This record gives sequence, C-alpha cells and structure tokens, in this order.
Amino acid sequence: MGDLWTGFVVALQPINLLWGLAGVTLGTAVGVLPGIGPALTVALLLPVTYGLDPTAALIMFAGIYYGAMYGGSTTSILLNTPGESATIVTALDGYQMARNGRAGAALATAAIGSFVAGTLATLALSVTAPLMVRLALAFGSAEYFALMVLAFVTVTTVLGGSGARLAGWVSLMLGLVLGSVGIDGLSGQARFTFGIPYLLDGIDPVIVAIGLFAVGETLWVVSRGPDYDHVLPVHGSLWMTREEWRRSWRPWLRGTAIGFPIGALPAGGAELPTLMSYAIEKRLSSRPEEFGHGAIEAVAGPEAANNASAAGTLVPLLTLGLPTSATAAVLLAAFQQFGLQPGPLLFEHEPKLVWGVIASLYVGNAMLLVLNLPLVGLWVKLLSIPRPWLYGGILVVASLGAFSVHRSAGDLLLVAAIGGVGFMLRHINAPVAPVMIGVILGPAAEQHLRRALAISQGDWSVFLAHPLSATLLAVAAVIVLVGLRRPRAVQSNP
Amino acid sequence: MLLRGTLVLALIATTTASANAQLIITAPAAPGGGWDQTARVLQRVLAEIEPATSVQVDNIPGAAGTIGLARFVQSERGNPHALLVTGLVMVSGVITNASPVSLSDATPIARLTGETEVIVVPSASPHQTLTDLLDAFKRDPGGVSWGGGSAGGTDDLLVRLLAEQVGLPASRVNYIAFSGGGAALAAVLSGQLTAAVSGYGEFAGQIAAGQLRPLAISAAARVPGINAPTLREAGVALDLANWRAIVAPPGLSDAERDALIARVTRMAGSTAWQQALTLNGWDDLFLPGADFRQFLLAEQARVEAVLRRLAAADTAPSARFTMAVTPTTMPNATVAVFGLLAAALVVSRRRNRAPIAVAASNSRSAAILGVTLLVQPLLMLTAGFIIASTITFVVTANTWRGVRPARAMVARDAAIGVTFAAIIYLVFTSGLGVVLP
Repeated sequence: MGDLWTGFVVALQPINLLWGLAGVTLGTAVGVLPGIGPALTVALLLPVTYGLDPTAALIMFAGIYYGAMYGGSTTSILLNTPGESATIVTALDGYQMARNGRAGAALATAAIGSFVAGTLATLALSVTAPLMVRLALAFGSAEYFALMVLAFVTVTTVLGGSGARLAGWVSLMLGLVLGSVGIDGLSGQARFTFGIPYLLDGIDPVIVAIGLFAVGETLWVVSRGPDYDHVLPVHGSLWMTREEWRRSWRPWLRGTAIGFPIGALPAGGAELPTLMSYAIEKRLSSRPEEFGHGAIEAVAGPEAANNASAAGTLVPLLTLGLPTSATAAVLLAAFQQFGLQPGPLLFEHEPKLVWGVIASLYVGNAMLLVLNLPLVGLWVKLLSIPRPWLYGGILVVASLGAFSVHRSAGDLLLVAAIGGVGFMLRHINAPVAPVMIGVILGPAAEQHLRRALAISQGDWSVFLAHPLSATLLAVAAVIVLVGLRRPRAVQSNP
Repeated sequence: MLLRGTLVLALIATTTASANAQLIITAPAAPGGGWDQTARVLQRVLAEIEPATSVQVDNIPGAAGTIGLARFVQSERGNPHALLVTGLVMVSGVITNASPVSLSDATPIARLTGETEVIVVPSASPHQTLTDLLDAFKRDPGGVSWGGGSAGGTDDLLVRLLAEQVGLPASRVNYIAFSGGGAALAAVLSGQLTAAVSGYGEFAGQIAAGQLRPLAISAAARVPGINAPTLREAGVALDLANWRAIVAPPGLSDAERDALIARVTRMAGSTAWQQALTLNGWDDLFLPGADFRQFLLAEQARVEAVLRRLAAADTAPSARFTMAVTPTTMPNATVAVFGLLAAALVVSRRRNRAPIAVAASNSRSAAILGVTLLVQPLLMLTAGFIIASTITFVVTANTWRGVRPARAMVARDAAIGVTFAAIIYLVFTSGLGVVLP
C-alpha cells in the first residue's frame, strides 16, 4: 500500500493530471469515432511523445486506453455500430434500449458500470498482480481450450435458445465458417480464401458486427416500410431510474468479477468476458425474455466486464512484459521507446513509474465518469434526428468505421455482403447474435485445441489429465446436461 | 467534447505545415509492429535532417506485408518519392501466400536494422547448453516442442533451418506457432514448451530476471550486453537476423535510385538515427545498394529452399497420429455441419409455413439500397469519400421513406449528407492524420 501511496503522489502532480486528462478526453473521442481504436491512436501518438517524460506519456496512453473503453459503447448503443470488438455485445441490448426510449439509461449504466468496474479492477490490479501472474501461468493451451468450450456452451445455450432451436445453430455454424477464413495461425495455410489475397488475414469480427447489426438492420427496416419502425421517444429520467439502479449494480459487480481475471490471462482478451457476462446475466435474470429487447442488465454486465478486462490486461503487461491485446502491444512498444523493459524487474527498477501509472488509472476513472455523464444528454439528442437522416447517418458512419479499420475497400464490400446475410437471417427469423459467437470464439478455440494436441503429440487425454481443464470441461458438461433436461420455456430471438 | 479532443489530437499530431518535397513511406503492417515502428522512426529522423521534406507514413496491413508490397509495386511505379519498409518476414510471406508480386519486383535501397533471435529454455529446464537441447531434439524430435511467433515467420524459419543443420528434416520440428514471441512467453515460463524462440527484446526482461536461460543467439557475431554464445560458437553453422530494409518502386532511373540511396546513407549516419537504434534495441545492419541486392537474393534462395522442402513434406500422408486435427479438419467439419443444418432448416420451414410476405415496393427499396452499398466501395475509391457517403446518405433516406422521392427532398438530403460527410472527412484527415480517399 505504501507503494500505491507513492504512486498517488506521482499521479496527482498537476502536470501528470493534465496529461491524464488529455489522455482520457482523447480516448473518449477516439472510442466514439468508429474504426479508430485506442491501439491506432497510441501508435499515432508514439513518435510525438518522444521528447516527453516517460511517466507523463504512459499516464496519457493509459488514459487513452481507458477512455476508449468508455467511449466505445456510445456508437454501439446509439447507432448499433460497434467501434471495436469489446463493445459488440453492448450493441445487442443497448441499441434496443435506445429504441425503447431509454438511451440515456443505457449510456449511464455503461458509464457508471465502467467506473465501478474500472476502479475495482484497478484496486485488484494493485493488490493481486503477483497472484494473477501465477494463475496466468497455470493456463496452458489445454486449459484455454476447456475455457473456450465452457464459454461456447454457456453463451450458445443462452443466446441461441435451447438446443432444439435449429436456426440458432445455423447462425452459429455460419459464424464458425466466417471465423475460419484466412491464414491458419498454426500452419500458415490459407483456408477459404479462394485465391483472393484480401481474405488472407481473415475477417475482422468488427466488420462482421457492423455488417450484421448496422447494415443488416437498416436493410430490414427499409424493406418493412416506414410504418414498421417504431422508436419510442426518450422518456423517464435522463439517467437511470431507481428501478434501473436496482437492476444494474449486481451485473456491474459480476461483470467485474468475470472481466478482470479473464483479462489478466495471457490469451483472455475483452470479447470473451463480455459474452460470458451477457450469458450469465440472462441465466440469473428473473425476466430472461427481456434480453434481446433492451434489458439493462445486458448492457450493465458486459460494459463492466470489458472495462475490468482492460485493467486485467495490464497484469501480464506490467509483470511479464506480455501484451495480450492490440493496445497492450502498442503500450509495450511505448515502454520500449523509453528504454523501459516491462517484466518482472520493472516493479523493482521503476517503482515510481509503475505505481504512478496504476494510481493515475484511479484518477482517470474518476475523470472519465465526470466527463461522460454530462455527455449522455447530448448523445441522447442525436436520437431526435428524423429517422431517414438517422439511418442515412448510421450507414455513412458504418461504412466509415468499416473502411478505417484496415483502410481497405474490400472491407466495405464485405460489410455490404454480410449486411445482406444479416437481412436474410432476419427474413427467416433466425437469431443474429450466434454468428458473432462463432466469429469471436471459433478461431481461438480451434487454435488452442490444436496447440494443446501438438504439445502432447496428439494425445487427447491432456484435457482430462490437467486438473484445471478437466474441471472446466466438467462444468461445461453439467451445463449441457441441465440444458437438455430442462429446455427453456421462453425462446429468445436476439 | 469530441471537438476538444480532436483539437488536442490535431495540435499534437500535425507536423510542420508547409513543405516543399513529399516522401511517402509505406509500412505494410498495422500500427504498432516492427515495420510500422521502423517507418515512424524513419519519418522522425528524416524530418530532422531534411527540414524541407514532408514525410508521410501510410499503413497498408495484411498477409505478411504482401498486400502492401503488391499495392506499392503497382501504384507507385516510377515514383522516386516513395519507399516501402520490408524485411525477412516478407520474403517468406511472398512464398507461403503465393504472392504474384515478389521483392525482386522492387528496387532495393538499403538494409537498415536487424534484431537477433534468441533460443531460451525456462531456468528449471535440464538443458544447460544448446548441445543438451539439440541432443534431446535428435533423440526425440517430436518430444521437444518449440514455441515462437507465427508460422513462416523468423522464429519458425530459425528452428527449421536449425533442424536441417543438425541433420533432421525441417518437417520433423514440433513447432507451435503463437500470435507472437510474447504470447509464447507464458507457455515457456510455465514449462509447457521445451524451448522458445523469438527476438531478443521479447524475452530480455525474463532473461535479466533469471527466469529464462538463453542458450544461443542467432546473430553472426556476439552482441554487446547479451550473455549468450552465437549459434556458430555453439557448433551450428547458421546465422539469421530478423532484418528490416527499405525498397523503392520499380521503374526508377539509375540517377533517381542513386539519389535515394545517398539520402538514406546520410540518414543512417546521423546521430538521431543512431540514438533511435539504441533506444529500440535494433542492431545496425546498414547495407546499401548493390550489396543489399546480393544479400536479398541469397536470403530469398535459402528461405525458399527450406519452405519448399517443408511444403513437400506436409503433403505426404502422415501415418503417426490416428486422430490428428489438421488445418483443414475444423473448417471442413463446420462447413459440413452448416450445410446439413441449413438444409434441415429449409426442409422444416417449407413444411411449416411460408416466410412473411413483404410488400413489393418495400422489397424494391431494400434491393436498391443493397445495390448502392455494393457499389459504394468502388465509388469511394474513384469519386472519394465525401461523394460516396453523400450518395449512400441520400439513397438510404429516400428508400426508408419508401415513396417516390420529390426533387426538393433529395436536394435537402444531399445538402445534409454533404455537410455531414465533409465534417467527418475533415476530422479524420486533418485532425487524426487518417487518410481517406
């Protein structure tokens, strides 16, 4: 704790506060802009911070990272256009809340949930970092595969309806096929690329989400005619009602508890915890039928989870020098630019810097909350734009987002094509969300499976020989059995 | 608030406004990686020693840099103000991705930097020296698992070349690819992998802390500050550097080429460049002009040879694993299941009920919008972002209304669309430095 105190002394210096403020402001702006993620921003800023004091620069970069996590939910909720993969799940119910006239509540629960999760997770980071490292190292490929299976089972049974829902499984398989396009990471072999060089790098989940959600939805709405589109005007309290507070606080805490440890795993990432949080909230909810139609828990939980996982990502980065997300990789490059080597010795050699950065995360979280809540009112006004122009704007923003992810016209074509697929899926009344699960979880699960088998030289018993993976698989099996015995009464269609 | 953020970014990001000469450096990778860093350091150093030149970095990521290479060779032909950052990974990428364009199509300028690779084992490993590790490897090639970066990358190449040097076929290596050397770190620290290979920088922290033992580095000579023998000292006749270089487009005159080489040579001798090398932990492997061309040909030959032997072995049937999961197992299985389920869905739907009928005029609206979206990428490239976006905006607004559009209405939509697109365009290009067409 003494170390953390030193950190606060560093972080609260006026000049560092100023850099922190610049970072979180930039990060929020960047998170709101589609296609411009925190990784790109930090990379663009790297050369210009060359002359800065390392502590100040890193405080600013960490602020950008957190700020982008806050801002990213805004386009998901208002425009159904996720800016990055961590906020894809937010779009599912967040956009529905906006259509129900509760955009303010969705934005507020996202901002407050992010604050709660960010603060708790940063606290966890400063207390449990050494412990988390040991957990991280206990996770090998077999354990990751088991975790992926568990995630698959929980998420698919919840999002796709129970096993009998054929259309949900078709969607999931479509996602898995889309996910396996491109160069296979383990062998370097091209799959489903049909000789098109553009497809070699695979299909970005963000592109799939923009196509399915923003474009698919717009096509669908247009095809139903102007009378179909009922959007309720904003009503009730601008922020959250007492009822919405009551429904939000538990998901915030659960989202944090899921997001932080998974974010701290070297191959955890931010997408997996958001999906798992969504699934768990739906299971625990007393009204699962609201999920997919604007349940506030489905925004509160995943938003808390993605912010907590952002803090979790800093555990392997600071203690092992191991970047586990694109932004963490750029932050690592930032450390190296200043001649610092993240890793086990960083805490010993540069305690002031490390604890200064950690303390500035607390400060940054508070700044972000103050910055974001007043913005809610402004954002909500966006929805009062006449519908034709709002949809026109959504498509322009969606194509801009798709284009600027990789600056490729191929992505635009893909967004249009996937938008057509999304239209077809809606037409046959199939759920869209399972496609996203397939695209996000499929490739990771396959890689871990094959890596584990390569290390064991083809021996399948590794998955049961390791206690941790055996436990995870057993839990997954129990969930499947329970699901088979007691099919859900209410079928969902997110 | 968004505006304020943009302003801050604009203030920091925009470099000197007025400049006479332009130079575009293409980094064929996403921001953050080694090629991008090289491009941005070049940008900074060139701006320092040639104040009259404005230097831009353009990222074209994809497929081990071969997408950037192809676009560079095609669209910059004959342009003496364009450079492309490249390196060893692109040499192998061209082969594994069967790229129609290779590095021989570009004009070699100079090799700039290199990073030495290091072979490490966890400190608890029984292997004390490279000889110990190689003995175990020769006894049971499959039992020694090697981890490192992506397939076909420098780490992979080094282990395959090493195997061939000790008399084993490259295909017998149990190489496990991770998304980068850093990702393999956790697996080797916890002892799941026998050994790991990556750029020295990725493991430097753990080596200094005594958690990893370096057995050998791949550089041709000892590197100051690294306490490990070279492969040659350890008895293996092999050296390999993860080198990075710059090339110019094809179709330059000799004078233009020599002028570029002279500029880069002056840059490489500057103190700013030397400082940047130290900061980033890059070795100075400067090699300009004709010598670089020779080096490039030699690297292409040796990389191609080992990859060809590897590919030939991969196609041979493997009798060892009965339930092996190959790269094609999963995709084929998912396609098969998808096909079955989709067929089942069609059958069950046909039996139950017809899909909801859609009014003809509305489905025509949706079709018009769909076609617009498919044409949009083409428009974006030819007519530019603002025009393409305005058209999308107008079509969406009018198809949504679903009535025959009145001229005044279209004009008003267009005005709003143009304003909206123009604001976005300005924010992205001059504020964020993101180039939109």
